[in-house]
Amino acid sequence: MVVLEQISTYFHLLAETALDPVNIAILFGSVLLGIIFGALPGLTSTLGVALLTAVTYGMSADRAMLCLLSIYVGGTYGGSYSSILINIPGTAASAATALDGYPLALKGEAGRTIGLSTTSSAIGTIISMLFLVTVSPIILHFALQFTSFEFFLLAFFGIMISGTLTTPDLVIKGWISGFLGLFLACVGRDRLQFFPRFTFGIPELDSGVEVVPVLIGAFGIPQIIQVLKTQIQVGNVQKLQRIIPEFKTVLKNIPKVVRSALIGVGVGCVPGIGEDIAAWVSYGAAKNTSKHPENFGKGEITAVLSTEVANNACVGGAIIPLLNLGIPGSPPAAMLLGALMLHGVTPGPMITFEHPTFIIECAAILLLASMAMWVVGITLAKQVVKVLRIPAPIFMPIVGVLCIIGSYSLGINIWNLYLMLPVGIISYFLAEMGYPIAPLVIGVILGPMADENLRRALMVSQGSFWPVFTRPVSLALILIILWMVLVQFPLVKRLKDGAVAKVFRKRSRK
Amino acid sequence: MLEKEKLRKADVFTSIVISLFGLWIISEAFKMPMKDSWGGVMNVWYVSPALLPLSIGIIITLLGLMLFRVALKAVGFKEFTNTVRWLLSGRMVGFLCLDTSARFYAIAVLFLTLVFMNLPRIDFFLDAVLFLFAFITMFYFYDDALMKKFLLFYLTGEVVFIIYFALGLDNILNEIYPFATDWLALCFLAGYVLYVRTSVRRNPDLRKRYRLALIVSLVAPFLIGPIFKYFLLVPMPKEGLVVAVLDYIWYLEFL
Repeated sequence: MVVLEQISTYFHLLAETALDPVNIAILFGSVLLGIIFGALPGLTSTLGVALLTAVTYGMSADRAMLCLLSIYVGGTYGGSYSSILINIPGTAASAATALDGYPLALKGEAGRTIGLSTTSSAIGTIISMLFLVTVSPIILHFALQFTSFEFFLLAFFGIMISGTLTTPDLVIKGWISGFLGLFLACVGRDRLQFFPRFTFGIPELDSGVEVVPVLIGAFGIPQIIQVLKTQIQVGNVQKLQRIIPEFKTVLKNIPKVVRSALIGVGVGCVPGIGEDIAAWVSYGAAKNTSKHPENFGKGEITAVLSTEVANNACVGGAIIPLLNLGIPGSPPAAMLLGALMLHGVTPGPMITFEHPTFIIECAAILLLASMAMWVVGITLAKQVVKVLRIPAPIFMPIVGVLCIIGSYSLGINIWNLYLMLPVGIISYFLAEMGYPIAPLVIGVILGPMADENLRRALMVSQGSFWPVFTRPVSLALILIILWMVLVQFPLVKRLKDGAVAKVFRKRSRK
Repeated sequence: MLEKEKLRKADVFTSIVISLFGLWIISEAFKMPMKDSWGGVMNVWYVSPALLPLSIGIIITLLGLMLFRVALKAVGFKEFTNTVRWLLSGRMVGFLCLDTSARFYAIAVLFLTLVFMNLPRIDFFLDAVLFLFAFITMFYFYDDALMKKFLLFYLTGEVVFIIYFALGLDNILNEIYPFATDWLALCFLAGYVLYVRTSVRRNPDLRKRYRLALIVSLVAPFLIGPIFKYFLLVPMPKEGLVVAVLDYIWYLEFL
């Protein structure tokens, strides 16, 4: 009965959103903007969501989500344009697509490849939407039984796993980045006793660091510096023929579609790691299971299908922990969290009580966004591709102005800019030194959750850590965290590698 | 990101900075109430506001030391001393003068002057046009010599502004003549535009790029700004000459 009620609510919300002309205009406008952000090398869906957050300030929470989720979906897909047509990934998420997409474009199949990436991305988003509606009630059921210890450990786990998986260099650097973010979250008056921490007597710091300007600075400024410092000039854009939706190819490869979607959703659910990792994992899986792995990298159409399904499936996957636990699954989801907080929606286990239809509404938005993306992708691709000819020194300064006015307008406070710019410049240096930015951002976002819940939990247990070992979820989390740390030590690493090799040898003998 | 070998060398130094930063967090955390009374509440260690900062400080210090060990092991002590010698020698200046470094300085200068100098004092639209035009002309010509030339001109103008604001001339002049600072900024903008024009007048390709830069710099702020000012009702950081003109038109004050 409850399921039927949920399904009817879903279709009711879907119709309500789709029948409002303003919503439709926002939907198509945002998807188009997202595709442009994704297509332009140097701009990302994270930055798109960050900049548009300021514009949604005057909207209701559901309309803001419609706008931001559409940008997220469009941005994740849009990266494939530049990957396929100029061999420069528009976003990190579409880097794997370039490996086979560009060779296909060189063979004169750019239209077919873009069509396939459009259909695959739409299907990936829809499958992830199905997971969002089916998995959320289960997670929420368990999350409602969580105590402060579990929430503290979840936040800690989010920072650690994000640091471990997103680092381009040493794992230690990922963790340092995460703890620097956690430190930033400590700035301001603490929420339990209102003691000023690291405020240096500056009243503007009393309320802590504003999350959205920090996110804009951390994602926007390093991007601008990197693109203009290296002076990448876009090469020749491959000619785009008629866009073919390629339903036949999709239908022929349904098992690959399902596998890639599962990878996308799974990777998306892991805190802090995003669409790029989903695409690479899916690419690897497709290559390993292919009958002709030698064709990969030379223009294999199923490679494009696998990466595009996975990176867009990651969108829904990243929203699952965001809405149910308040832990963002990817950098754009971190931005969405900031935007939701601005609109008075606090994601987490209480979301179904405070906003009973919110998750279903997000699912309906994902479906509409994927449909709008497909329509825009198939009909306007030729026009959108023209933006690839805009040189970076023209649009990057405009992005700079948007970063500034966007950060300022959230709170109408010039102090936000004094915070955004140094964070941006420091993030640039950190990125140059091989420190990932995502854990820093996750640290800033999850810091208050970690701080409050740790102290609350210890208050209840009178300073004892024993409850951690008596509750299954917290015990599992602490064991995973310990494993993540221990496996970095050479001795444990050797033991682990040895054990894995032994298992594989035994299996191969059998 | 830097190459792996350079990265490890840099890691030796950054790890020291990170460890010191961790120690500073610990020292600051010790100043927070641990067992004393704060706001009438007697503290116990586990509810102290110092609990998380202290833990973070310890972890950052330890991670910094671990990174130092890993980096030093990879680089070797001899190479480390060579790097220290390189840093202290004149060759370091050569690195700082590289074209890629100059590009970074240009971006940093443009952002820093906009945020800390111009935005709080000069009309937003003038700031945005100046920022965009300077930014685009410095990078869109793909000529580092020109970029350095324009950066020098821009810096000179900003230094004049620093002196102007430091001496408090803005308050005095604004009282005598409305929007005096904005008029000054407009003169600087016009001067910069003319300077760029004279610098590129002999090159037809650059002249074309100059025209595009000028159009984009003028159009973009007048598309973005009004959305925030009149549709989202966000007051601009500083509303001066141009905002007054726009208000006059928007609210039909001339009717």
